[in-house]
Amino acid sequence: MSSLRNVAIVGFAQLPVVARDLHRTSPEMLYPVVRQALADCGVERDAIDFQIAGSVDYMDGRPFGFVAALDVMGSWPPRLDLHLEMDASFCAYYAWLRMQAGDCDTAIVVGHGKTSEGDPRRVLNLQLDPYYQAPMGLDPVSTAALQASAYMARSGVSDRDLASVAAANRTAGARNPENQLHTAATPDELLKTPWAVEPLRSGYLPPVGETATCMVLAAEGKAESMCDRPVWIQGVDHRTELQTIGARDLTQSASARLAAEQALAMAGLQTASEVDVVELFALTPAEELILCDALGLDAQAARPVRNPSGGPLCGYPIMSTGAIRMAEIFRQLSGRAGARAVPGARRAIAHATQGHCLQHNIIWVLGTDRRWA
Amino acid sequence: MKRPVAVVGVGQTQHSSRRADVNIAGLVREAVDRALQDAGLEHTDIDAVIIGKAPDMLEGVAQPEQFLVGAVGAHMKPMLRVHTAGSVGASTALAAVTHVASGLYERVLTIAFEKQSEGNAMWALSPNMPFMPPLVAGAGGFFAPYCRAYIQRSGCPAHIGALTAVNARANAAKNEYAHLREPLTVEDVLESPMLWDPIRFGETCPSSDGAIALVLASEAAARKGPRRPAWIKSGASYAEAMWVPGRDQVSPLAGRTCAKHVYDQAGITDLWNQIDAAEIYVPFAWFEAMWLENLGFCAESDGWKIIERGEQKLGAHLPINPSGGVLATNPIGASGMIRFGEAALQVMGRAGEHQVEGAKTALGHAYGGGAQYFAMWIVASDQ
Repeated sequence: MSSLRNVAIVGFAQLPVVARDLHRTSPEMLYPVVRQALADCGVERDAIDFQIAGSVDYMDGRPFGFVAALDVMGSWPPRLDLHLEMDASFCAYYAWLRMQAGDCDTAIVVGHGKTSEGDPRRVLNLQLDPYYQAPMGLDPVSTAALQASAYMARSGVSDRDLASVAAANRTAGARNPENQLHTAATPDELLKTPWAVEPLRSGYLPPVGETATCMVLAAEGKAESMCDRPVWIQGVDHRTELQTIGARDLTQSASARLAAEQALAMAGLQTASEVDVVELFALTPAEELILCDALGLDAQAARPVRNPSGGPLCGYPIMSTGAIRMAEIFRQLSGRAGARAVPGARRAIAHATQGHCLQHNIIWVLGTDRRWA
Repeated sequence: MKRPVAVVGVGQTQHSSRRADVNIAGLVREAVDRALQDAGLEHTDIDAVIIGKAPDMLEGVAQPEQFLVGAVGAHMKPMLRVHTAGSVGASTALAAVTHVASGLYERVLTIAFEKQSEGNAMWALSPNMPFMPPLVAGAGGFFAPYCRAYIQRSGCPAHIGALTAVNARANAAKNEYAHLREPLTVEDVLESPMLWDPIRFGETCPSSDGAIALVLASEAAARKGPRRPAWIKSGASYAEAMWVPGRDQVSPLAGRTCAKHVYDQAGITDLWNQIDAAEIYVPFAWFEAMWLENLGFCAESDGWKIIERGEQKLGAHLPINPSGGVLATNPIGASGMIRFGEAALQVMGRAGEHQVEGAKTALGHAYGGGAQYFAMWIVASDQ
């Protein structure tokens, strides 16, 4: 890997994830986090070269939901701008790429989505191809259940194993004040929850929530003055794969595996087990285990520490969940993780996904040190 | 940009009001196959796929790129989905430019599409904003007041919209891919029904099914290709807030800022003589005069005079939309990238019957939102 530009996460702000922010529209939720993220970096909006937003019209229940976000992002005078119909983690990738192209030094990356405006299970059915899969009524819980049963059949993982993975997230998540769910749970408690779609119990699934997030990225030379402990991007890659459920081996994530190989190679690492923390965007315990396989991680090992934030099982704000995984790593590596801090953490992986059954995956390797000289 | 980027392949579909012969994937694939063939490349040569379209409500599929992964050959590749309202086709191509310019990608496929016959564009483009009366009747209802304000402040005569529309159709008749190719007369337009005053039926874009794909490449990869590439001299996408006191909706600052950015980067100081052709986003005829001013081709309130003098015609001094433009073909999400692709074809010397003779430098332009999003590039035959 040739030398790239060192780019760091230098700031992040979010609202605590809630099921419904009753009194605010999506832009009203976004405004305070943009202000907070800039204030934390000690800069005004004019210091930021580029802005990018992630949201999806179908979640807002109207076309052009993202246009209203321009006003609260400080888009006056006019700004260099882009909007992706994707989780903000993918938006961060584009901002990073733009810095590699030398087109900007600083960027804000926002994610927003007013999921309580609609019924996410119904809406996300519409992601499936409109000819064969969507008309069957499949939704993200039923496709995840197909994946979970395929994985259990291949791996021998049991219902109790899934409960243990979910309980570990819930226990960690009780220490995270940003989460939607703050209550710890034991495997036995979760095993008593009813099937959502067999083999997934309601206790194995996240509550869908809403929030707004703003991340600040800055290239070397600017990052140091904006943050006491910038968290540097050491490697990143993302890959997608076919959507068609019947055409994929659902027991593994080929796209996550390839993205991880590429991101680790960029970071100069041999294996994912060399990092101290991983934050996985897994919406079911089965997805978490499939992602561990893809990263080559032993799911039983104590290190790297997995989802010390509680992960998405403690709150799933659509369009920001991936950005929050990056933010959690930023907090861990910059001394901002409070009661959930992992001692001695210097390098970590943040993952995000979108689409049904882990269709598209991005892997970030982040660290306390600059990757390139 | 850290390193040069070129357009090495252009492919577009036959555009029409209803492509009943293909589904969404088939429509997109038609453009992709043509672009790859044009570039002399296979799917395995492509490092990443960047795809864009306007609101998903137009087809009723949420984030349709996810089911199109196979159709566009993106399996196991990086893929991004862009959405910046009407400007999306253009901003998608610019996002693809970034990929190659970064040095991390050699060849990138970028695609934009809309299959408007799958849904009801009028409904999909009439957002119901919280706490506001639902006053918007499609994009025409939204932009008619902008056109009225322009007419009032510039003194633009009532026949300028018709002259613009007639010229667009005359050009489209020479473009084999265009949707509306039947000739129009000024009388036809002026006698057509008034839809949203001052916009008449004959001054309005159609609702089209269509897709376009471009292959972008690094200098080294471009030099290996079978054809003369179009070199991207500059590109930028800007956006501005909606609710700014004193904001000029008729000639938005974001448009002027974006134009200055791409001219400065490309070393263009004398637009009138350095730009040989321009493909600009004109969904309603009045916008052609408005954008000529916003882009700096003339002084404020003089845009309509260029059209009255006929200087924007194919064969005249500054051909605007030699392809026929959005007034002849409007698959919304694709329209911006069609502007960019047509600008590239002009400087490659491959625009067929609507070729501007000797075109060396061309401008591609698109806008979207409430005239808030602007995306432009300058392409040239010489590096």
